[in-house]
Amino acid sequence: MRWFLFRELLGAVRTKSAIYFVLSGFLLFLFLASIACFFMIIPGDAAPSTEGQPIEEIQVFLSPRLSSATIDEWFLEWREREDVAALRFQFAQELDEAASGGVFVVTPSDPAMAAALASELAAIEGVTNVVEISTEREVEGPIVSLLVRISLLVLLVATIVASLFCSRRGYRELLATFSGEVRMLRLSGVSERALISLIIALGVLIGLLSGLLLLAVLYLFHQIALSSAAFSLLGGLASGLRILGVGMLMLALGTVLGGLAGLLGASLLHRREFDALP
Amino acid sequence: MIQVSELHFSTEDGVKVLDDIHLRVDQGELMVILGSATSGKSLLLGLLGAQISPQRGQILVHGRNVARLGANKVLALRQKIGVYPQGFVPLPRTVHDNVAFKLRAMGNYREQAEEKVLYALETTSLIRQQRTDALELSSIDRVRLGIALAICHDPLLLLIDEPFEGLAEDEKTEIARLLCRMNTGHLSILVATRGPVPAGLQASRRIRLVDGMVKGA
Repeated sequence: MRWFLFRELLGAVRTKSAIYFVLSGFLLFLFLASIACFFMIIPGDAAPSTEGQPIEEIQVFLSPRLSSATIDEWFLEWREREDVAALRFQFAQELDEAASGGVFVVTPSDPAMAAALASELAAIEGVTNVVEISTEREVEGPIVSLLVRISLLVLLVATIVASLFCSRRGYRELLATFSGEVRMLRLSGVSERALISLIIALGVLIGLLSGLLLLAVLYLFHQIALSSAAFSLLGGLASGLRILGVGMLMLALGTVLGGLAGLLGASLLHRREFDALP
Repeated sequence: MIQVSELHFSTEDGVKVLDDIHLRVDQGELMVILGSATSGKSLLLGLLGAQISPQRGQILVHGRNVARLGANKVLALRQKIGVYPQGFVPLPRTVHDNVAFKLRAMGNYREQAEEKVLYALETTSLIRQQRTDALELSSIDRVRLGIALAICHDPLLLLIDEPFEGLAEDEKTEIARLLCRMNTGHLSILVATRGPVPAGLQASRRIRLVDGMVKGA
């Protein structure tokens, strides 16, 4: 009986209600996709990187064979250089217990020119090693993902509200064409529970289809992500297990939300136009 | 079969619509309820058909008090009652599909429903129009279809509200004869009308509702 009535209900879907239901399903799909994106973004707490960062100081390790006079002479000479902002001398053991001799710690006046200064100093005879110390700066990933997260959150709220609105409009249109049947069902002793479950079942179907569509899209992107680096931000796409887990979770969420939209539609049944008797 | 006693019903504003109604309808009886548009006839039929819950008083159907029935038992009771509502409008389907929809919705299988559809359409002389769009039917055939819908599930009680509305005199007589023909065996029929009662409607009893009260039972 329920299956018969459900087919009859689907048969009452006309162009206008179909447009609203398709729109509602698509918006629900976007909502689920927004949530799925949260699971796909690479975590923002990645290790800080110094790669490509400006050089803050240069450690120039000196040979222990150098005389103190030479070291003094170099100190005075380097201090006067325009590309050197500050200069200090330390014993090598202060930086590295295994090392011997002395170290000049040079602060370049222009970090952009520091690389040239470092290679110039490295070329001097008596200099055993030159270490360039760069400023540690966090990678831009977390900043981007924060922006993305806020956008997703806005999208999340907008899509679910719009989806529920479209769904209710769709139900209103559908029930307007099905009102005669509803009155006849009530008159014939069909229970309210059966009527409500019909309406909810339609919502569940829409939610289920949205969830399945998302599952298919996730799988498609997973295949693309495996063969391309274009989805570096959504790194989770590369993990098949994560795709499956998120997909199933979204399928369940879509079904529940579809059911809720159906419940919202079922509330229209309390209108006077659906009363069994005039 | 039906025993109504001390039945009262008021609107939300406190206006009395039914006032101390006492009524008895026996099995197989055809009763006519006469009354003006606002006399409460439709409300009384709604209460007897378990479509409206009573506020005060007792309605016994087959010895059971409708007011005390649980939701499932009320539904079961409704399935034993056939209702022709006032101003009946058929579904935008064929005559056959109108009746088939109701039967399938009530849990009948396709073959079972088909058999009952044909029986109801034959009884109401609509078998020739079974493939006609119900919205294109003449006034009298619409009434016939409404009656076919009311009797298709073989009810014990038939509640007919204003079946003669908008019909010519000869059509009224035809519907009256149809009702009399159906009043055989166990089926009890209550017909509510503003009157006058058409010729050919041989009712075992006539009651008149005036301002919510029964006169001349």
